[in-house]
Amino acid sequence: MLKLSEAPAYFERYRDIIPDFERFLEHLKEPLPLYFRLNELKCPDPEIVLKGLARQGVKAELVSGLPRFYRVEPRDFPLGSTEEYYLGYIYPMTTSSALPVIALEPRPGEYILDLCAAPGSKTTQMAQASQDKAVIVANDRRLDRLTALVANLKRLGVASVATTLYRGETFPFGIPFDKVLVDAPCSGEGRYRQGYEGELLYQKEGHTNLPAIQKGLLVRAFDLVKVGGIVVYSTCTFNPEENELVVDYLLRKRQAEILLCEYPLPCHPGITEWEGKILHPGLANARRFYPHETQSVGFFVAKIKRLM
Amino acid sequence: MPRKKKRVKKIHKEAKWPRVTSFEERDEVLSFWEERFGIPKEAFEGYLLLSTSKNYWLFVELPDIKPLQGLKVQTVGLLFTRRVSHWLKPTSTALQRFGHLAQKNIIDLSPAELDRLRRERKIPFSAEVEEGYVILRCEGKVWGCGLYVKKSLISFLP
Repeated sequence: MLKLSEAPAYFERYRDIIPDFERFLEHLKEPLPLYFRLNELKCPDPEIVLKGLARQGVKAELVSGLPRFYRVEPRDFPLGSTEEYYLGYIYPMTTSSALPVIALEPRPGEYILDLCAAPGSKTTQMAQASQDKAVIVANDRRLDRLTALVANLKRLGVASVATTLYRGETFPFGIPFDKVLVDAPCSGEGRYRQGYEGELLYQKEGHTNLPAIQKGLLVRAFDLVKVGGIVVYSTCTFNPEENELVVDYLLRKRQAEILLCEYPLPCHPGITEWEGKILHPGLANARRFYPHETQSVGFFVAKIKRLM
Repeated sequence: MPRKKKRVKKIHKEAKWPRVTSFEERDEVLSFWEERFGIPKEAFEGYLLLSTSKNYWLFVELPDIKPLQGLKVQTVGLLFTRRVSHWLKPTSTALQRFGHLAQKNIIDLSPAELDRLRRERKIPFSAEVEEGYVILRCEGKVWGCGLYVKKSLISFLP
């Protein structure tokens, strides 16, 4: 696990792209705020949840610009052991994690593929955003992770999802998807903070060529979506090799454009140059999100339109 | 040294999609919900009813299901109703989702009663409802399915 004292050296390579780098490093010493998303499919009245949590000493405040998202105090409260969680009224989820689905704009009647879906925070968010009336295929290559996804679908009472267990890179053709989300496996640098219990995948699995996996997933997603359709590519890492360079690879291989999108959190344009390599200028339309500005996890989101 | 074989759960190659129910079968299931709980059939408009051997699943209605049927699926939709012997039984999952639309055969429990029912699974109970499957509710929250019979309440909560 990366120690906090090692963080400045680890993140030093991003000094020029992360705004207010020193404040960013300071911010890593603070724990991640706690948020949840309200599931109105099961709980049409937020007051039921808010009153129930208040009785347990929890203060929940609506996040500005993000309907259905609440910030919770105290931030170490075990939301997962409440009856509101058990009954599927809430889904603990950080705010920046909502951004890919905001970019995707799921609508009733659309065919949507969530290529790397487990454990289902974004799948269930899509189902809510489309009033449980889009046709959503939620795929994950690992059975243990898919089991968690299925449990969350059941807990949240979602009816509009079919689950599949394919390798994303070989997901079968034949369905005219309007939209595909690739929330790719990544090094997870954006999640890193003091007391972070996970590991940075980049370090843990040094042998894993994440950019190669991400490129394979994104190209497949693009080939699965119909012409004129939308692919959203997202990660929770700062690493340009897993973000802009992956999307740059697609833009050189396929006819695609990156669309601008409005987000409710502070953001910065994607970079168009990295370590001397000039990238596709359209990458400026992608967006980077940093934890010290969003009070959440670092994220990268690119909304891509298939042109041909 | 012989290599340890990695256990991988295989997807059944002939795995089939649940079947789309006929109009009559759909009407039978939705009529049960309407008659038992007063939830109108219109509440399920926009959803297909799919069926496996003893279970009914709710899935979003789509113009053409055929392209999707080419996928080897693990699950489809929400487990809605089970066929138990000759009876239809609502699932707690479905009641938690649609139970707030119910008009009748709802039992309101106090937190203490709910705790006891979840612990003991069957408790003596008297309520002004018809015998049969009931919706268990506590402080406005629908918890799921129970069975009220002969002054007893049986829990089917997961």
